[in-house]
Amino acid sequence: MIKIENLHVSVAGKTILKGINLEIGEGEVHAIMGPNGSGKSTLSNVIAGRDGYEVTQGSITYKGRDLLAMAPEERAWEGVFLAFQYPVEIPGVNNTYLLKAGVNAARRHRGEQELDAMDFMQLVREKAKLVELDQSFLSRGVNEGFSGGEKKRNEIFQMAVLEPSLALLDETDSGLDIDALRIVAKGVNTLRAANRSIIMITHYQRLLDYIQPDVVHVLADGKILKTGDKNLALELEERGYDWVREEAAA
Amino acid sequence: MSASLQHIRDEAWQAFEARGLPTTRDEDWKYTDISRIQALLGDQWWQSAATEPCDAASFVIAKLDAYRVVIVNGHFDAQASDLPASVSVKSLAAMIQDEPEQVSELITYRDDAFLSNGIVAANSALASDGACICVPDNTRLDKPIHILNVNSGGTTHLRTGIHIGKQAQAEIIEHFAGNHNNSGLTTAVTAIRLLEGARIEHYRLQMEAPKQCHLGRVEITQQRDSSCTLHATEIGGMISRADVVVRLQQAGASCTLNGLFVAANRQHIDHHTRIDHNAPHCTSRENYRAVLDGRSHGVFNGKIVVAEGAIKTDSAQNNANLLLSQHAEIDTKPELEIYNDDVKCAHGVTVGQLDQNQLFYLKSRGLSDDEARQMLTFAFADEVLAKMSNQAVRRYVEHAAFAKLPNISDLEGMLG
Repeated sequence: MIKIENLHVSVAGKTILKGINLEIGEGEVHAIMGPNGSGKSTLSNVIAGRDGYEVTQGSITYKGRDLLAMAPEERAWEGVFLAFQYPVEIPGVNNTYLLKAGVNAARRHRGEQELDAMDFMQLVREKAKLVELDQSFLSRGVNEGFSGGEKKRNEIFQMAVLEPSLALLDETDSGLDIDALRIVAKGVNTLRAANRSIIMITHYQRLLDYIQPDVVHVLADGKILKTGDKNLALELEERGYDWVREEAAA
Repeated sequence: MSASLQHIRDEAWQAFEARGLPTTRDEDWKYTDISRIQALLGDQWWQSAATEPCDAASFVIAKLDAYRVVIVNGHFDAQASDLPASVSVKSLAAMIQDEPEQVSELITYRDDAFLSNGIVAANSALASDGACICVPDNTRLDKPIHILNVNSGGTTHLRTGIHIGKQAQAEIIEHFAGNHNNSGLTTAVTAIRLLEGARIEHYRLQMEAPKQCHLGRVEITQQRDSSCTLHATEIGGMISRADVVVRLQQAGASCTLNGLFVAANRQHIDHHTRIDHNAPHCTSRENYRAVLDGRSHGVFNGKIVVAEGAIKTDSAQNNANLLLSQHAEIDTKPELEIYNDDVKCAHGVTVGQLDQNQLFYLKSRGLSDDEARQMLTFAFADEVLAKMSNQAVRRYVEHAAFAKLPNISDLEGMLG
């Protein structure tokens, strides 16, 4: 699905990612864990195409194409989805209208017929149930006045509607209480599919109790220092990150 | 014309002759240079006549079920108008003819503003026509009144008087429009008086033709427990200025001013508002927004004066400005004068471009750069328009406002 090779990224002249290598196959769920400031969010922003990140070396190949040459919206049309760490509030832009515009832009891109209002509303209602999002949220401004947990649920709801091939969940678990985490995780689990890959970026092993990853990576100091299965996450929880650093330095 | 009315108009003319037009040396006119008006219209600019006919029918607001007062090039058009039976609506010209003693009261000629302001003085001396509306006590107007002022250029002076009786209620749409390529000037002074418990929702839609200049003034006087909502939208014209003055004279009065300017090219739009809290327990809410593109220039000056006795005043003012082009400019200035301690007054000003985080968020959901910009611009401006309770008027203004900005293609889609 996606292959990242020797990726070096700097932000405002400062090198953040120093040679990331990562390959994620179709249907796989990978967790990327790491301490603060290790470059986790930089990686997800670069994949989604945010401005301000300079790729100085390396490549990202997505479905056989050069991802870095694509505009953010084109990435979205091709099935890349970022669930934001801090979803932005956009008062006055209706949640449902945004999604309809997004879904139909992708359909136009694929040469498919746009969904009409009726079909779209049916789709949206169905998906809202998945993350137990109250119907009233559909007609509100994007994230406007939502609580932290509601914003995160709204991200997963959007993911459900947009049906991406590659979903990046950037600290979707941060700031959630157990109930909200359970709802979000249930939503994500329902969206696991053979043709959909998921990258979960997180600080906490807790999330992985609810969404079991196929592969766990440790990102620290701008590099993937270690890769393992879900047991690695448990070990990190117990021992912290320093031993991974020491092991990598040795 | 009665001697007293004639006398007032003569006095106004003298005041105008003595003062002329304000210049940028006047603090209040620092950012708005109207000497260009004289350059465009010539020495006799105050009486430059329109030369072409104009068609009022093309400015009808779709789906608006309303009474209509149509004024074409400064003259009431009875044929095109549709007046209510239950409420007195007359043309100013007819009133000057038939009931001159009522005129000065209704359109506040008694007000001394005309002695200090050259434009109001000219308007007071020269106003040819306008709508005079009296809603009797305890009457609720069953439909809005649409006052349609159309011109084909040239100079027109309009004077409108609105009197809402005790516990009476009305919705009035004052609409200035034109579709021509001529230079011209509209001066429009509107006096609104609300008696005890009266309510008005007043729309002021400035949609003049591109080369028309527009100098407007709205004076609102409110008695006990009255309520006024003013939606002031400035979209058309070349140089445009509106002064809104609200006087909250008795306890419990409340006013809400919602303003929007949308300017492009070299348009200049200036809004000066002043709210006088002269009594206790009055509330004022003011929310003005500007969307400025091209080389346009916006000015907002919002003054709030809370008098010594006006305890428990509750006032909030907000002015937000969106600059779509690096050549667009806004001068904004909130002014608060508070003469007692027992008040709640908040104010805030922002000036900015479209938010990069919001843009990226929308694009990450599949919207093109153009679509994302449109959507955010629309959302910014529509926050003000969404407060209009009349949906037909709101749609009409939305279309007019966004037709002039680049890249707004699928407005219908956005409105859903």
